[in-house]
Amino acid sequence: MNPHPWQMTSSSTQSPRASAGCFVTTHWSVVLTAGRNDTARARAALEQLCRNYWHPLYAYVRGAGYSREEAEDLTQEFFARLLAQNSVARADPARGRFRSFLLASLKHFLANEWEKARARKRGGGAQLLPLEFDTAETRCAQPVAPGDTPDRAYDRQWALALLDVVLGQLRREYRHAGREDMYLGLKDTLSGGRSEIPYRELGARLGLSEGAVKVAAHRLRQRYRELLRAEIANTVAGPEEVEEELQHLFAALRP
Amino acid sequence: MNNAMLGLFNLGGGEIILILFVFLFLAAGAIAVVLIVLWLVGRQSKSPRAVPPVQPPSPMPPPSRNCPRCGAPLPAGAPEGLCPRCVLGVGLATHTEVPGDFGPQGTQVLQPPPDPAELTRHFPQLEILECLGRGGMGMVYKARQPKLNRLVALKILAPEKGADPKFAERFLREAQALARLSHPNIVTVHDFGEADGLYYLLMEYVDGVTLRQLLQGHKIAPEQALDIVPKICEALQFAHEQGIVHRDIKPENVLLDKQGRVKIADFGIAKLVGAEAPRLALTEEQSVIGTPHYMAPEQMEKPQSVDHRADIYSLGVVFYEMLTGELPLGKFQPPSRKVQVDVRLDEVVLHTLEKEPERRYQHASEVKTDVEAIAAGRSAPAAATPQTRQVDGASTATPRFSRTAIWGAVWAPLFLITAGAALMTFQVTAGPDSPPPGPAWWQVVLSLTLLPLGVAAPFGTTILGWVAISQIRHSCGRLYGLGLAVFDALAYPLLASDALILAPALLMLSSSAAQVPGQVVRPWIGYWWVWLAAFGLIAVVDWLIVRAVWRSAKKPAV
Repeated sequence: MNPHPWQMTSSSTQSPRASAGCFVTTHWSVVLTAGRNDTARARAALEQLCRNYWHPLYAYVRGAGYSREEAEDLTQEFFARLLAQNSVARADPARGRFRSFLLASLKHFLANEWEKARARKRGGGAQLLPLEFDTAETRCAQPVAPGDTPDRAYDRQWALALLDVVLGQLRREYRHAGREDMYLGLKDTLSGGRSEIPYRELGARLGLSEGAVKVAAHRLRQRYRELLRAEIANTVAGPEEVEEELQHLFAALRP
Repeated sequence: MNNAMLGLFNLGGGEIILILFVFLFLAAGAIAVVLIVLWLVGRQSKSPRAVPPVQPPSPMPPPSRNCPRCGAPLPAGAPEGLCPRCVLGVGLATHTEVPGDFGPQGTQVLQPPPDPAELTRHFPQLEILECLGRGGMGMVYKARQPKLNRLVALKILAPEKGADPKFAERFLREAQALARLSHPNIVTVHDFGEADGLYYLLMEYVDGVTLRQLLQGHKIAPEQALDIVPKICEALQFAHEQGIVHRDIKPENVLLDKQGRVKIADFGIAKLVGAEAPRLALTEEQSVIGTPHYMAPEQMEKPQSVDHRADIYSLGVVFYEMLTGELPLGKFQPPSRKVQVDVRLDEVVLHTLEKEPERRYQHASEVKTDVEAIAAGRSAPAAATPQTRQVDGASTATPRFSRTAIWGAVWAPLFLITAGAALMTFQVTAGPDSPPPGPAWWQVVLSLTLLPLGVAAPFGTTILGWVAISQIRHSCGRLYGLGLAVFDALAYPLLASDALILAPALLMLSSSAAQVPGQVVRPWIGYWWVWLAAFGLIAVVDWLIVRAVWRSAKKPAV
């Protein structure tokens, strides 16, 4: 589905609409449209989504005042239930986004079920996701700005989690092509500010001319954009929502 | 006690007690009003205008670096060690190619930039000399008008804009507005139009550097900043008076020529090129994503409803950057804490950077006045060090307590003094053994002097109170003391209304007292529910009135 980075041409700005066919296979749409026969596939898709986006949930729970230990238990329990039950079947496709669905489910869980679940010990048969709580805790432990609510923290961490996924994919692609050094050398150009990027120095470091470096950086940036939009598409119901979700997440990162 | 004829009133012993009661009550009412107003003032003082809020030193930041691009601190665990906001911003832009920027070898670029030779074909009347670079909204070239033998700057707006027919109309309207901006501190627009699908602007050529280049080279000395800012203010004030908002004030748009003249470029271009449609603007790589830090908060949230005060915010950001070399992000420190500049500048900068437009300077000329006053103050030998902490009382930037409100408050008690004196006068002559009634000479003098003032006090105080409220509201923070002004404005009206409410109650009680001549005291206590109702009503009415007036006084003066 994702073309090799070196095969694309620079004039191919793949708009989301052009690759509409890909959306049938995006995770969230799979989950939403899963019928009785597709439960295994839907479950796999949901699990992948949860693995990618559990940080924001943890951030929300911590922001809501739960202690670290309780937040860890809570997160694990919540995901166990989410994956075990067919609660997603009740998800309203019109709602659209995985991000909102997840937060709504969490709030529902916190309001209704957590008290009861806490009393029982966690069942041994429940499947636990391999979650690294240390990194999540470091991310949450920011000095909280005034007016910061758990919801805003959630959105912010969602944006960070999204970037994690996308940049991770980008790096893996370059690694598979044997050009991880290129990625590492050029990843700073992803912050933008074209006029401030020292192309010549980068070129010297990578053994390329200034022009070649510019081309490579440009390709990296373009591939990043494609992957970013593809990953956002994984979490929304349709291609028309991608831009809006992207803008929402950008606004969520406002200091 | 005898019922002696006293002046105008038929005052018996009971009636004297009655009047005393009334005055006691009115005094209590006045005290209650004072307490209410003080409480309201105390509540509002979370954001005092009297003393400029100096930011407390921010808590020790976690040991993280700052993004070299936007200056914001990198969050812990930032993906790949990059600034997430900048990275996501890059992701937002959908134009992968920007004309003239990359030109990768051998690959097709969507919109090739016109090179100088090609441009000459489109502009035969010009001699295109060189490409100066990429401006905010398009390419800029240095050119020469042979006929007039002068240098000009030719700005070509991004070609894909030309496809939009509505753009042409907007372009014409806005360009005409820009052409009216003839000011020494504004880059003049000589001509504009469309040539073969390319929209262009012919502007004054400024031989110098941009403020951005100065900032990148070395930090600007505070004196230089204090010299540059007033000139920017003049330009902004002029444009605002013409009804034109710049919307994109940033160091890249401030040009300084070799003679040290300051010129603002790209006036109104942001609106021209369609920042009205937020989506469109967001896809322009460097227009919004590149410089969101200079945009006023209301500009980001509701771009359509932005007015000239957004420029003042941007000016504040630029000012801050000139003084400190950094952008004012999040919880930022006032300039005097970062570099050695006059403390009074903090106030000016913070005032321009208020998040709500109503709380900012309302006019660029006000900023200029304040900055120039501070700059002049610094050269005075009396100022010991640049960091003098003594606030100069005569400085126009220092907020002061509204004098009108003070006079109103001083005048108010005169009424009570007069009334008390009058009562005393009558009482003295009421004694059974006293000489026949006739005021003593000192009483006459007192009455003649205090009486007019005293009688006029309710009106005077009230009028002064309302005037003070209006003055404070329109002073943009230079006057404070709204609490006292509201007190002045309301004290007597409320007392009068209280008396009106009380009068029926007292009448009722005194009439029932008259019916039972032997028992004077009891009815006062017996009909306790009358007292309760009256007091209750008074309290409610007073409270509602004070609250309503306070709220409307606190609303920003448009």
